[in-house]
Amino acid sequence: MEPTSLVARVLAGDQDAERELYDTHVDRVYRLVYRMVGDGELAADYTQDTFIRTFERLAGFRGESALSTWITSIAISVVYNGQRKVKRLRAREIDLEHADRLATPSREGDPDLKLKLAAAIEELPTGYRTVFLMHDVEGFTHLEIGSALGIQEGTSKAQLSRARAKLRQQLAQYAGDLAS
Amino acid sequence: MMDDREDRLDNLIRDAARDYHAPPATPRAEMWEAIRASREAARTEVPPLVTRPARSPLRLVFGIAALLVLGIAIGRLTVPSRGSTPAAPAQSSVATAPEAAAAPAQQRARGEVAAKVATDDHLTQVETFLTEFGTPTAATDFSAQAQDLLTDTRLLLDSKRVVDPRTRKLLEDLELVLAQIATLDPREKNRDRDLIADGLAQSHLRTRLRNAIPAGSAIRL
Repeated sequence: MEPTSLVARVLAGDQDAERELYDTHVDRVYRLVYRMVGDGELAADYTQDTFIRTFERLAGFRGESALSTWITSIAISVVYNGQRKVKRLRAREIDLEHADRLATPSREGDPDLKLKLAAAIEELPTGYRTVFLMHDVEGFTHLEIGSALGIQEGTSKAQLSRARAKLRQQLAQYAGDLAS
Repeated sequence: MMDDREDRLDNLIRDAARDYHAPPATPRAEMWEAIRASREAARTEVPPLVTRPARSPLRLVFGIAALLVLGIAIGRLTVPSRGSTPAAPAQSSVATAPEAAAAPAQQRARGEVAAKVATDDHLTQVETFLTEFGTPTAATDFSAQAQDLLTDTRLLLDSKRVVDPRTRKLLEDLELVLAQIATLDPREKNRDRDLIADGLAQSHLRTRLRNAIPAGSAIRL
């Protein structure tokens, strides 16, 4: 179904259409939100808020960007806003359970690298971190990232480049291993 | 050679990053239940009766001035002046018991009316301020105004005369928002403003404010 007719059905009060819109986009939203917050409960809360606000604001969707990008921009706003409150309550910590999981040896990975990488990603400035996770981990294009974050495509590329440089700097010890 | 090594390190980082906060299966059904319940609640919510247009900062200044005048007027009405108290005739100084009992009750009632008027006017001011704040083109520095309103909000919260639990909850929520605005980081003002505006929309704070302000109590500017 064309996104515009699905939107029209939701706006007309069709509750099946609401569910359809949710089913179409929820995985992408939840994955990104989870990557950003690393906590199942928070990720579920933020995803719910994202869709509640999506439905509330849908009348204002003008189709200037893809519906998925528009929903992503709402998700990012919800996460940023929520995380500011969470940060006030507790300093962000690396999920130990997750760290244990990472410590399990795998074919492609050095567990030590993954732990150090997790810490390095946590330390990235919020904007760099978001662009890195969206592009290099979740596969968003710079055009989509630009639209969702309200920045130029070139800015998204520049932020990704700086994020990678910071991560390389943090993980410089592994560069020596690669050279050998 | 260096570029090649950087590329290989980037690839290594990208591969390793796939395990960073790796998402589990999406809990679709649970989340949908919560969304559906919230949508149902929103459908049954009473819409605000009046939508007021955005007001300019100049009007806000006049509003504050009008509130001051109103405050003085209330003060004069509620505190009995020495001149207006008649040199009590002998029989009134030996007041009957019911009259004596009625005096503190009357004073308390006056105090409650004054507190209600002050609260309504304060809420009107905050509503005007938040409407201004939500205007995308507004370029005013809001921090100082938010600080003033925050002080008044805290005074009202500290007052024992504001007893209505809904009003107190509203004042508590306003305190949080005003504190956020008052401490806006000038370097990231635009982004923070958007976040606060989003938070406002999420909590339906302006709608609750409009519903709390009785018709006709707004300062007409």
